[in-house]
Amino acid sequence: MKKKKSNLWWVSVLSIAGFITIWWVCCDVLKLTSSASLPGPITIFKSFVNKMSSTAPDGATLPGHMLSSLQIALGGWGMGIVIGTPLGIIMAWYKKADLFVRPIFDLVRPVPGLAWIPLMILLFGIGLIPKIVTVFLSAFVPCVLNSYAGIRQTKDVHLWVGQTFGASDLQMLFHIAIPTALPLIMTGIRVALGSAWTCIVAAEMLASTKGLGYMIQQARGIYRSDIIICGMLSIGALGALFTWILTKIENRIVKGVRKDA
Amino acid sequence: MLNRFHRKAKGYEKIFCAAISIFLFLCIWQAVVSFTKVGLVLTGPVQTLSALFRSIVQPIGTHTIEGHILWSLSRVLVGFLLGSTVGIILGILMGWFRVVEAIFRPLYEIIRPIPPIAWIPLSILWFGLGEPSKYFLIFISAFCIVTTNAYAGVKAVDPELMGAARMLGANNRQVFSTVVLPSCVPHIFAGLQIAVGASWGCVVAAEMIRASEGVGWVIVKGQEGNSTVQILVGIVAIGIVGFVLAVIMRAVEARLCKWSVRGK
Repeated sequence: MKKKKSNLWWVSVLSIAGFITIWWVCCDVLKLTSSASLPGPITIFKSFVNKMSSTAPDGATLPGHMLSSLQIALGGWGMGIVIGTPLGIIMAWYKKADLFVRPIFDLVRPVPGLAWIPLMILLFGIGLIPKIVTVFLSAFVPCVLNSYAGIRQTKDVHLWVGQTFGASDLQMLFHIAIPTALPLIMTGIRVALGSAWTCIVAAEMLASTKGLGYMIQQARGIYRSDIIICGMLSIGALGALFTWILTKIENRIVKGVRKDA
Repeated sequence: MLNRFHRKAKGYEKIFCAAISIFLFLCIWQAVVSFTKVGLVLTGPVQTLSALFRSIVQPIGTHTIEGHILWSLSRVLVGFLLGSTVGIILGILMGWFRVVEAIFRPLYEIIRPIPPIAWIPLSILWFGLGEPSKYFLIFISAFCIVTTNAYAGVKAVDPELMGAARMLGANNRQVFSTVVLPSCVPHIFAGLQIAVGASWGCVVAAEMIRASEGVGWVIVKGQEGNSTVQILVGIVAIGIVGFVLAVIMRAVEARLCKWSVRGK
């Protein structure tokens, strides 16, 4: 039987160190690649430090871009949760709502959030609103789907017990069904965060004047792949950071249920 | 109240309600477009659908809408096949061999949280504006998802099953090929399903940013030409293809993983 505890952490450290060394040797020592396509790790680190305070070449510092992206992504994501989760719960709990709302929802669902960007730009112009709306659309779908699936997991036996003790319909919803659904609802919120974050990057690449997506798209135009890679790593790091925070919150809220989620 | 969720809606009831709600939705859409100022920028469902049917024979740009869909699908196919093959292999190896896990996991964990879309500028710098940069993007998007699932699948193998196989005298290789591989197939399929959807979204994004054909190109040209009809035609086409892809993947899974719970 394989033991869970790993004592191979030094292999991992070696692996990352080896990767960075090979990269450094190929780029900075042997000069196998041009600095326009793949700069070495040192160049990237330098331009990362530089970009923290410098607004060249795209008009904002790295933290400025981050802040702008985060504002929109979190705004749209929040709206997606606030509207999507209750809608999913209502659709799962009330059959009438399911019968009437689900067909329309199924029409919208297979369209990836990004595909709405051009339409939203035409409808709302280039500004905050089209981005928030597209982020909202892409965050909304996983919230609805997961809260719907979560409520549907409620065991009939639990509902019968509630009924036997004279619980009203709403009491059963709030005390039995929603607690059952909580792990899946949280999963939905986490998935939504991922798609919101992807969507904002795409929206900024298409039409924007600020934000991480805009930054990497501009950097491509002037062959500054060091800035592109800085931007990509920041995008990844912020995404990972928020997922981590959410997981912590999830572990705090959701108690005593499935561990595999 | 008995069996709240297991009480099935009757077939005709379902279709009837769906028809009413979709009809109402289309009516409201048409009404908003016809009677308010929104009509200046948005087209109604009737025009959109007729434009969609017209585009089957009349080309948008250089291709008809089927041509654009085929272009996008061919990109997805290449990238997805490459990405999922590499992803399955790497995921299984990482799950089974701890040394492989120790070597690749940290590198992989750095790449994973970066959305595939964010690779677009770099892939254009690396592979130019042609097809390889799109294949690369879709490769990344399929690869990340499939690797995660294959890895989780191997890690989720019931240790009791492995113990039982070992007790009956199976060696390491036999345990791997007869217990671990089959039991991670459902996980891999779940990953493939998500990956198809993600690749489809990704190809749309890639084409919106740089292409001269494909469904993403259709909508972004619609935006540049201020033509909401063209955007809506593109969105409807994207939606239909996305839906069909999901249905196909589900059918394949139901056929190949009949024995698993997920396949049902």
